[in-house]
Amino acid sequence: MRILGIESSCDETAAAVVEDGAAVVSSVVASQLSTHGPYGGVVPELASREHLRAIVPVVRAALERAGTDFTGLAAVAATAGPGLVGSLLVGLTYAKSLAFARGLPLIAVNHIEGHIHAVLLEAKREGLPVRFPALALVVSGGHTHLFEVSERFDYRLLGKTRDDAAGEAFDKVAKLLGFSYPGGPVIDLLAPHGNPRAVRFTPAKMKGNTLDFSFSGLKTAVLRWVEARGMREEIDARRRLLKTTPHPGTEQWLEATPPATLDLLASFQRTVVDELLRRATAAAEQIEANAMIVSGGVACNTGLRAAAREARLPCPVYFPSPGLSTDNAAMIAAAAFPKYERGEFSGLDARAQANLTLALQ
Amino acid sequence: MPQFLTGTEEETVALGERLARDLPSRAAVLLIGNLGAGKTTLAKGIVKGLGAAEPDEVSSPTFTLIHEYGDPVRVYHIDLYRLEHPAELDALGLDEIFERQAVCLVEWGERFPDRMPSPRFEIRLETLDGDRRRITLTAFPAGE
Repeated sequence: MRILGIESSCDETAAAVVEDGAAVVSSVVASQLSTHGPYGGVVPELASREHLRAIVPVVRAALERAGTDFTGLAAVAATAGPGLVGSLLVGLTYAKSLAFARGLPLIAVNHIEGHIHAVLLEAKREGLPVRFPALALVVSGGHTHLFEVSERFDYRLLGKTRDDAAGEAFDKVAKLLGFSYPGGPVIDLLAPHGNPRAVRFTPAKMKGNTLDFSFSGLKTAVLRWVEARGMREEIDARRRLLKTTPHPGTEQWLEATPPATLDLLASFQRTVVDELLRRATAAAEQIEANAMIVSGGVACNTGLRAAAREARLPCPVYFPSPGLSTDNAAMIAAAAFPKYERGEFSGLDARAQANLTLALQ
Repeated sequence: MPQFLTGTEEETVALGERLARDLPSRAAVLLIGNLGAGKTTLAKGIVKGLGAAEPDEVSSPTFTLIHEYGDPVRVYHIDLYRLEHPAELDALGLDEIFERQAVCLVEWGERFPDRMPSPRFEIRLETLDGDRRRITLTAFPAGE
């Protein structure tokens, strides 16, 4: 039983075919394709008009790689939110047209639910299915959420960021220090070369819900640290490096980054990782979770993965493989599978919703 | 040129609520200030003051570019930090959003001055010592 998934909520245009909610038969993400890809160039990041250019070749590529055509599909699933409405509309409308033309059921999926199912899919495939209730930490450039996930895939929001997402903090710290975008990978690459206890950042204290996150204060603390130290020269040197070498290697970055800055990066990363795990652990204990799921782009962070392994967590922790951590459509098709089994189909009037929430209100 | 001082995040949110009362239902408001100056914090207050959402619901739109609040949408919270080229503003459909009957709060809009609507409001946020902020409101063009 194969479902075609389509994702276009933010930067990436993606399509995938998933079988029985467990096997990724094909998964295509437009912004990751080489310049020799079928549409003659890297699809620039961003927004609806770029999605519009990419959607047809991306879906076609996903079907071709799966060795199937529309007749081999049981349903079409697409992200309905949250995200940019203009971008969401491209994928959702395309999915509606397919469903209508081919007489296939349409399944609207929440993007965040997709991230959770990226992990469930792989766990199922490995024969180590996640036990419920599970605590899900969805952490990316746009999201930092804690959910309780029940066996029936009902979701309860336990906490979320009140300002910046964790991935956004990585991006902004990297940018202000002259590193490349996105910031997560480069900071993660260099953090092991610094002392994670060298710079002390005060953890955010949350009034009200203590399972909420805040990363804005940490970002500002890094900015103050940089301003106080007159780092203009080394920052400019890194920006020059980026102009001549779009993708510097570890050695090149290390040459352009003094020990004190490496300490700063290591300390910043440790602070973010500690915050994420501290609140995720507290949430897992609160709901007596039988599993912890970490998903979203920041789940690629090796510091977070190592800390989660070493921490005495109250339950087993699951991370997705890197390809399924960042935005993709396999997770959308996987999330659609239980809805298909329950007959939860969407009408052709399904709306794209920028602020679509996952939990029951 | 009204100028305000706030000493805490809570005061910045409260100021946003107050400023919201004087905004027309359709307006473009640029929030101008460095990283950590409190742009998103002030936006929380304005969104609340317009009755579109609670402050805790309002988070940074840097990654997602646009957040919408209210049903029907009364506030667009836009963040152009990630964008580099004016052409990306076209791809985002920003001109169409400015046409809508809503308040558009724009962070980092001053990076694309030619593309910002006129008339508009500009709110500048400056960090003084510690948590204190100086917040200045101007109408653009002057005298509007």
